[in-house]
Amino acid sequence: MAPVLPLVLPLQPRIRLAQGLWLLSWLLALAGGVILLCSGHLLVQLRHLGTFLAPSCQFPVLPQAALAAGAVALGTGLVGVGASRASLNAALYPPWRGVLGPLLVAGTAGGGGLLVVALGLALALPGSLDEALEEGLVTALAHYKDTEVPGHCQAKRLVDELQLRYHCCGRHGYKDWFGVQWVSSRYLDPGDRDVADRIQSNVEGLYLTDGVPFSCCNPHSPRPCLQNRLSDSYAHPLFDPRQPNQNLWTQGCHEVLLEHLQDLAGTLGSMLAVTFLLQALVLLGLRYLQTALEGLGGVIDAGGETQGYLFPSGLKDMLKTAWLQGGVACRPAPEEAPPAEAPPKEDLSEA
Amino acid sequence: MALLKVKFDQKKRVKLAQGLWLMNWFSVLAGIIIFSLGLFLKIELRKRSDVMNNSESHFVPNSLIGMGVLSCVFNSLAGKICYDALDPAKYARWKPWLKPYLAICVLFNIILFLVALCCFLLRGSLENTLGQGLKNGMKYYRDTDTPGRCFMKKTIDMLQIEFKCCGNNGFRDWFEIQWISNRYLDFSSKEVKDRIKSNVDGRYLVDGVPFSCCNPSSPRPCIQYQITNNSAHYSYDHQTEELNLWVRGCRAALLSYYSSLMNSMGVVTLLIWLFEVTITIGLRYLQTSLDGVSNPEESESDSEGWLLEKSVPETWKAFLESVKKLGKGNQVEAEGADAGQAPEAG
Repeated sequence: MAPVLPLVLPLQPRIRLAQGLWLLSWLLALAGGVILLCSGHLLVQLRHLGTFLAPSCQFPVLPQAALAAGAVALGTGLVGVGASRASLNAALYPPWRGVLGPLLVAGTAGGGGLLVVALGLALALPGSLDEALEEGLVTALAHYKDTEVPGHCQAKRLVDELQLRYHCCGRHGYKDWFGVQWVSSRYLDPGDRDVADRIQSNVEGLYLTDGVPFSCCNPHSPRPCLQNRLSDSYAHPLFDPRQPNQNLWTQGCHEVLLEHLQDLAGTLGSMLAVTFLLQALVLLGLRYLQTALEGLGGVIDAGGETQGYLFPSGLKDMLKTAWLQGGVACRPAPEEAPPAEAPPKEDLSEA
Repeated sequence: MALLKVKFDQKKRVKLAQGLWLMNWFSVLAGIIIFSLGLFLKIELRKRSDVMNNSESHFVPNSLIGMGVLSCVFNSLAGKICYDALDPAKYARWKPWLKPYLAICVLFNIILFLVALCCFLLRGSLENTLGQGLKNGMKYYRDTDTPGRCFMKKTIDMLQIEFKCCGNNGFRDWFEIQWISNRYLDFSSKEVKDRIKSNVDGRYLVDGVPFSCCNPSSPRPCIQYQITNNSAHYSYDHQTEELNLWVRGCRAALLSYYSSLMNSMGVVTLLIWLFEVTITIGLRYLQTSLDGVSNPEESESDSEGWLLEKSVPETWKAFLESVKKLGKGNQVEAEGADAGQAPEAG
């Protein structure tokens, strides 16, 4: 039964491995912490922007998965730090002997699995943002006037604050406001001829104007904000054609939000990729260290050569052993308890 | 009779020195915190110096920055001293410097306390500069073509949006100044001509406010113009309408922001001051207990540490005596020289 990917480890390379592993583990813990911060930030952002994403959007799953993956990466890093420190000190190592095997399994299966899932989500989910934002913004703009309808009364405030903070207007431009009734009917004078005309000229009976809310105004404009009668070029004399874009914000909120969220998801994705790499290296290093020290019988200071390996035997042999072990366990009253190395081998065959 | 005498054996001394070493390094961190607090306050004040007439006092952030740097320096020095204190040979090097160093530490602590007090007390001057600066800012709101003032409109608009305020004391301040530039007024219009004629100074005053005064929480689209004219808008009463515009004045808003900032900085500085006082007391005990070890060979022996060798009134008397002696010594030396050399004693 030849071990898989064996590596001969005399004392000096073992010490080097432990030291390098210590450094990598701290880096992994740091990366895990950064992921926790990034996904926390994204979650907070999504809490504010949640109204502008369609309810069916799955995007909020990404920061939640990343949060879990980051926590596991942090834990793995700290375990690596402790184990690599202990492997250099004969007095500290014995308590780690029994624990390291199951921890490695948990780290590979749990941590690796979570990281792969989070990475996959980071690659797949931003694509669905476009439609979700479109739907969410259409709904938000349509409910802008419903300041007295329960369930939608916050829409006006949220849209205004969105446009003020992100410096955008409408979905793709300020003209989106021309197609939506954004003035509540409660404040429309039914006796006013202009109001009645506008409502009658419209198929759906909406009061549409060529005006925008105040939150579209651009403070950089040299003149006080022009909000009304925007499509009538004669309505505002002295309108300077050299500065047509300074009066209102030119960007649409859809583009601004899409770019903002995709940037955050992209940062998170790259951090997850780096952490995945670091975690793989740390787990590999820990496995080699563990098997090398097992070869010495757990006595650290012995200067002898020993072999570290990934798996004690090839995959086919391991499956055969596991099958036989399982068969022995199922038979009534087994005589001996299975040896200590067998359960880690069986577990690793699942990974 | 010494003040607050404590017995120290070798182990206790070692523990004291180690504890002090650790506390000094935490204190270096605290000094960095004070430095960054001062830097943050300085940046915040400079960010809004446009509405403060560029005449705001930077005394508080500058002193915080200075104290932060001094704290880092003193505490790292003290850490080095505590580290060397356990080795009699190294400690002998520091011995003559410790008394003046402790005196400097006490002085530093007093100044730190005064700086912390200043954080709480200096908001009055800020109120005046803010009032003046905002008044001028609103006056120059329309001067978007005048070089040197063209940014004022943007500054005031962003200020009102960010701090959720309107005008100096309230939105009516905008009724008293012309905030629409002449360049965008149509002088052929009868309405414009009437308004300008009706005003003594020939200014175009409206009962309207800029868009940045609008409150997004209002249920109706923002009413910016003809605010006091109820009949101009359907179902509108300007006396009872509260949500349409921001009601707070920007002076009060900015003042409360800076006050809370300086108050929290004052609290943090006071806490750090308490920490520093503890460190100084610990250092004094370490110094006196190590001096009490009379024979450097017997570094294992017990010794006593105290704050003051004699009680407070006796120490004060001895201090005055030594100052007088210093003065007399100078007089004796200066006897042969110029008689105009006055003694140092107060």
